[in-house]
Amino acid sequence: MGREKAAKEALNLLRGRLCDPTFVFKPLSDSPESNYSKLKFIISSSVTEACNNSILLLGPRGSGKIAVLELVLKDLFLEYPDMISVIRLSGLLHSDDNCAFKEIARQLCVEHDLLFSKMASFDDNSQFMIAMLRECGLAHKTVIFVLDEFDLFAQGKQRLLYSLLDAMQSITSQAVVIGVSCRLDADQLLEKRVRSRFSHRKLMFLPPSKEDLQRLLGHILSLPLDSTLPRDYAVEFNAKLQNMLADEKFKQTIYTYMDSDATVNHLLRFLFRAVSYMDLGSGFLALENFKTALPNIQRQPKLECITDCSILELYILVCMKRLEVKEQNSYNFNSVMTEYKSIHDTFQTSDYYARNVCLRAFEHLQQRELISFTDNRGHNQSVEFRPVKLLISSYELQKGLKSYRSCPVILLKLMDREA
Amino acid sequence: MPTIARSNGDSTPQKRRLRSDAEAKDSPISTTVKWKSPRGCSSASPNSLSNGTERDFSDNPERSPVKKNFGKFISKPKWNPGDTEQMREVKEALHVSTAPSTVVCREDEQKRVLEFCKVCVEQEKAGSLYVCGCPGTGKSLSMEKLKQLLVDWAKEAGHRQPDVLPINCTSLAKTSDIFVKILGDAQQRRKVNGSATSALQHLQNLYSQNPRSSRIKMMLIIVDELDYLITKDRAVLHDLFMLTTFPFSRCILIGIANAIDLADRFLPRLQSLNCKPMVVTFRAYDKDQILKILRERLSALPYIVFQPQALELCARKVAAASGDMRRALCVCRSAIEILEAELKESSSNFNSLTVEKACFEQQTATAPDILKKQDIDVVRLDHMAIALSKTYRTPIVDTIQSLPQHQQILLCSAVKHFRGGKKDTTVGELKKSYMDICKSSLIPPVGSLELSTICRVLNDQGLLKLGQSRDDKSKRVTLRVDEADVTFALQGIRFFRNCLQ
Repeated sequence: MGREKAAKEALNLLRGRLCDPTFVFKPLSDSPESNYSKLKFIISSSVTEACNNSILLLGPRGSGKIAVLELVLKDLFLEYPDMISVIRLSGLLHSDDNCAFKEIARQLCVEHDLLFSKMASFDDNSQFMIAMLRECGLAHKTVIFVLDEFDLFAQGKQRLLYSLLDAMQSITSQAVVIGVSCRLDADQLLEKRVRSRFSHRKLMFLPPSKEDLQRLLGHILSLPLDSTLPRDYAVEFNAKLQNMLADEKFKQTIYTYMDSDATVNHLLRFLFRAVSYMDLGSGFLALENFKTALPNIQRQPKLECITDCSILELYILVCMKRLEVKEQNSYNFNSVMTEYKSIHDTFQTSDYYARNVCLRAFEHLQQRELISFTDNRGHNQSVEFRPVKLLISSYELQKGLKSYRSCPVILLKLMDREA
Repeated sequence: MPTIARSNGDSTPQKRRLRSDAEAKDSPISTTVKWKSPRGCSSASPNSLSNGTERDFSDNPERSPVKKNFGKFISKPKWNPGDTEQMREVKEALHVSTAPSTVVCREDEQKRVLEFCKVCVEQEKAGSLYVCGCPGTGKSLSMEKLKQLLVDWAKEAGHRQPDVLPINCTSLAKTSDIFVKILGDAQQRRKVNGSATSALQHLQNLYSQNPRSSRIKMMLIIVDELDYLITKDRAVLHDLFMLTTFPFSRCILIGIANAIDLADRFLPRLQSLNCKPMVVTFRAYDKDQILKILRERLSALPYIVFQPQALELCARKVAAASGDMRRALCVCRSAIEILEAELKESSSNFNSLTVEKACFEQQTATAPDILKKQDIDVVRLDHMAIALSKTYRTPIVDTIQSLPQHQQILLCSAVKHFRGGKKDTTVGELKKSYMDICKSSLIPPVGSLELSTICRVLNDQGLLKLGQSRDDKSKRVTLRVDEADVTFALQGIRFFRNCLQ
């Protein structure tokens, strides 16, 4: 097929992969030290040895906790069909105890083809759950409770947690409780009774190391050789990809991006952007794609605002900055005008406008939220007398001026002097 | 436990293979020593009272495997962790849900409660008792055993056997439902409306009239997690304990909770009536008690699983921290899992070596041989130390070390900002100090949107605490981690060392 058609298909394949968490987390799970193998070991030993267990998965949002858990559960369903049933609860929906027990009862009913009655009371539901756990225990079936947003379950009286963990203390039930949370101190939030019954096992999901990152990038972005894509195209693509991955500049771009947020999810968003910039004519990924994607994804709205400002508005902003540097705690439009006049007098600039024009520019700035009034009341006072403040930092202002298309030199000089 | 399977058929439902099957086939290590537990079948059944002398027997062979005090008892062989059946037995023996047949180290407390109940049953008088103690100290377990002991004693002594009603207050939808439960379903059906006030009144009527109440048996009510009944006006708790003060009351009430002063704080009125409940405190376990309990659980197994020093280390650490028995059992199981993982790793290493060597030497060693060479047979001190450190360490230091750079810089700027004694500030101020640090060290700072995201991420992880506000800049920020933790975590990086000085 033509080069462009192959490139389009490759692009679709890559984009599909980036949106599929199970594909992404596979390579990180292959080593025996990974969280995947540890989690799998704990759950499978609970299933085979018929003992109860509880575990917490902790890590920042987007680090793949649920994805790895789903991978483990999928594999366990294949290994032990009919011996596992999964109940999923979320702290955002079911933190109220009544809701939680109802949901557990409903899911158990669905799992085992029983009739669920909405009229069942809290007592009935909790008795039902305990009875079902006992039945499942006798039938050698393990019930796995997945509690998402675990820290939200720890608010209030923690009755659900207590009942679940207490049921697991009896020898007749066979259950595993897996809590997933982004709070590191999730187990400190538990009451001491509940904490005593909870085993202290925690799995930390830390951001990937540099070697893991390289491996991950290679795994995600390499094309498969045995698909509908033409083989020589795929081979050439992969070779070019490997060269790019080894390039220092590429590594620098990736590390700069990951400096603010190192979770896998964050990286995937960047890769999606970069891959979408792939040139369909040549059909290969290039370093330029990544370099263009970086500023597009790390947007600075205020900087973009500044590039849209007029020269007069820039003058006003610089005057306000100077006033701030002179430690005038509160200033208003009139003081800005005084400063503006003094600049004009000192440097003999050509951009000197009348007062009402400046007032218009001032109002524009205020509408665009680059400046704002510091007092909340006072709509009776006229605009010229109300105290104002800047809403952008001096660093952003300086950067904005530098990237402005035809910034007057005088402004740059003034800003450099303040810096 | 091996003896239970052989002795009686009415033990807990066997959902695993009977131990007798395992005993029938000879496992390679323990075949030479057909070791019978010195505790005969009678003490293995849960119905008998604990017998003091037999426990001593079970202690000694483990404590002194080398010095033989009793010539008959040969020291136990070490276990084979590669044998899945043995592994399963050991894990089951150490699981929290396996109730031991005798409750060790709680004899005094149990005796006191039993005496109290005996007096009540003999004189057909009502009474109340309050059991308190930290979690994991054996309160519910002892009360479980007590139920059976009391019923058996009553049968033997010829008194009327009391009814037993265990209630766990967490399962009550409303606090006043406890009276409905005490009344029981049979009584309640006679009343048309099942509202709780009428249940309480019904009970109160019942206990104030002589002819009706003498026909009813004594009732032993065990109320677990009593503090769930504490309401603002403390009415329910009061009414519950007041039930025992009625002239013809028939209930023996035992309340279980964690707070030591619950009776004093929430039941002051009972003191004036001179019927404050008797308080039995279950103190936290100390090192010797934990050691004794662990040994007692392991004594039923015919092999040695732990090195004695390892058990002692575990007991010491857990006793120093909380005295919680569940924690000790968890740590032991965790140590066994570490051993299992080590075994798996070494056998996979050996297998890869064997594949290489096979062409040269034509010999295939099996797993037990490796064990003999590498001595992975008992749980050693280092396994226990790793398990303890995993339990008792906080992940804070690791997480801070693994944060990306800008998040660490923001955390540092927060630490510096709060050093002056201020306890909270706004997000705008924090951003300013972050910018200052970046400017002074010539690192390009991230944009303000990214900064807000970083603040939110740190809040999610529990390192900072953000307040609520419409405006992002005026949200209040406090630091949730200790400054010392942050300094310790980042001490390896020179930039942060200088920054935090």
